[in-house]
Amino acid sequence: MLSDDDVAVKLAVYRHFAATGRRPTPADVAARAGVPADGIAEAYRRLRAQKVLVPEEDGVSIRMAPPFSGVATQHEVVSNGVTYHANCAWDALGIPAALHAPATVRSRCEQSKEPFRLEVGLDGPGRSDWLFHCAVPAFRWWEDIVFT
Amino acid sequence: MLFFRSEEQVLAWCRAEGAPLRPMVRIDQLWGLAHAWYSTRLQRDARRPQPAEMRAIFAGLGLTGPFWNPEHDPD
Repeated sequence: MLSDDDVAVKLAVYRHFAATGRRPTPADVAARAGVPADGIAEAYRRLRAQKVLVPEEDGVSIRMAPPFSGVATQHEVVSNGVTYHANCAWDALGIPAALHAPATVRSRCEQSKEPFRLEVGLDGPGRSDWLFHCAVPAFRWWEDIVFT
Repeated sequence: MLFFRSEEQVLAWCRAEGAPLRPMVRIDQLWGLAHAWYSTRLQRDARRPQPAEMRAIFAGLGLTGPFWNPEHDPD
């Protein structure tokens, strides 16, 4: 169970990503959540334990706030003029789902490197015969979520 | 968790990487997963699906078998 402050931090992180496409600084989160900046690292540790987000080794930079990625990836999503990066193919569709907004997903075939472009509307993507494949079974997804 | 152009490309990638071949998921199924996981993510009361909920989501999309069991190691 998360405290009210941890929920505020979580929402601040996610809403910053949604608004900007970029990861927030601790100061951004503190200002948006109304909590002291020196408590952000501890809040991130608790949120990591709940599988809500994944901080970098420095403890205060966001690597993943699924579906959003804090670093550039091959999975790019553009919605309402904002460019986002997703952690994986699943999360690439997760961004328009989270935003409840149309989006364009740009990625690639991992084997052939053929570019992949998918238009996603409010009710989901158009017809596509591309495939999704995950080498890691569900049981192990969070053992190394960055690898997954 | 990656996109592939076709089943042949998945097979080629698994061979090249020495990765196990896992169930292939259609884009419409992937949308179902993405929507189930993330459509409430920006809300105050958002939470990740629990294992029983995960199994129900997977089954509802036709994704069954040990690979999709969050509490069972198929390997």
